[in-house]
Amino acid sequence: MADSTHEQWLVQIDAELDGELSLIERAALAKHLATCAHCAGARASQLEVRVALARSAGNPHAFVVIALGTGLAAGWVAHGQWGGPGGGGTLEESRGTIVVH
Amino acid sequence: MGLSSFTSLLSALSLLQAPGTRLTYRIRVIEPASAAPRTLASGAVSGPLDSDMRLTLRTDTTEVEALFQVTPLGDTVTLAGEFFTRRQVGRSRRGLPLWEEDTYRRLVRLAWSDTARIYPFGNSTQGARASRALRVELILERQFAGGETRPAEVFELVDSTRDVRLEAIVRPRRARVILNLVRGDTVSAPRPMDMVPDEPSRIVQLVLRGRATTLVLSLTRPDAARSARERALALDADVVCLRVSRPDGTEPLGTICGRLNNVGRQLALPNGDTLTATFSWPGWR
Repeated sequence: MADSTHEQWLVQIDAELDGELSLIERAALAKHLATCAHCAGARASQLEVRVALARSAGNPHAFVVIALGTGLAAGWVAHGQWGGPGGGGTLEESRGTIVVH
Repeated sequence: MGLSSFTSLLSALSLLQAPGTRLTYRIRVIEPASAAPRTLASGAVSGPLDSDMRLTLRTDTTEVEALFQVTPLGDTVTLAGEFFTRRQVGRSRRGLPLWEEDTYRRLVRLAWSDTARIYPFGNSTQGARASRALRVELILERQFAGGETRPAEVFELVDSTRDVRLEAIVRPRRARVILNLVRGDTVSAPRPMDMVPDEPSRIVQLVLRGRATTLVLSLTRPDAARSARERALALDADVVCLRVSRPDGTEPLGTICGRLNNVGRQLALPNGDTLTATFSWPGWR
């Protein structure tokens, strides 16, 4: 279960580095990366690979790093500002419940 | 007539004339506080046994609308809640609010004397979310009434800075329809009718300036709502549609749909006249 969750986050990391994630999705990813060393490490590796590829293709290395770093930082700031998607908890936690007394 | 036949006749008559049951949803909206819980609003919705209750709670960042329905089963009752929630998750680059919407259903079974606690924003008690664990206490009551009666609402908002609403939802069994025929600046005498949805159509003649117009009318329920929100919250519960056609059974002239709210709605007729229909709740019986 945990592995499949990691798999999903790795897909999200891939999409984030491609610049395909929305601000909300980036915020969720930033929140997860702050607590998951495994995914944070995977993202760093991905970033290194992409920087190496960009360098070999002749793109300016610094620009790629700044652009990707800015994207994640924006997500993190957004998360801090409004608590991320669904107010910080899981969807089920934010849903109404009925308890009988 | 034998004694047994007479007894069975009496019991049959008593069943036919059995008193109606009136259902009451009694609620209190309670906000947790460090010292003691605070009541933000209280109220009650009552009506026939098939009455539903719509509850709306709004904060700056969350809107919860819920439709509650009950199904009695012996001494217990099943309470179903159809929830429609909107949460603000942020702002777009242009500064417009971004919302996420969520629809779900909750179902509990309880005894008539039990209290149901509804946590519309979730009941997490951890950290900052504990302050959001606002709850609604709901007690269901039933009383025997002399007959089917109208819905009633009592609501008191203690804290006026909160947006809390309570509504009784009852699907009308009958509707009062008042018809007028309009030609230029002349209006025919109002023609009140007591109509039942989906009953056979009836023929009505309206006279204006000596000219009679004959129409075939039938009252129907509106088509199913298109959006999930409208369906979940039964927003069209008190909407009826009046189908108007010619007596010769050819093509229908049109349909007038509206709530039972005393607002006149118009339909242009091919002969240049305008038919105005006003829908309202039927009078007391």
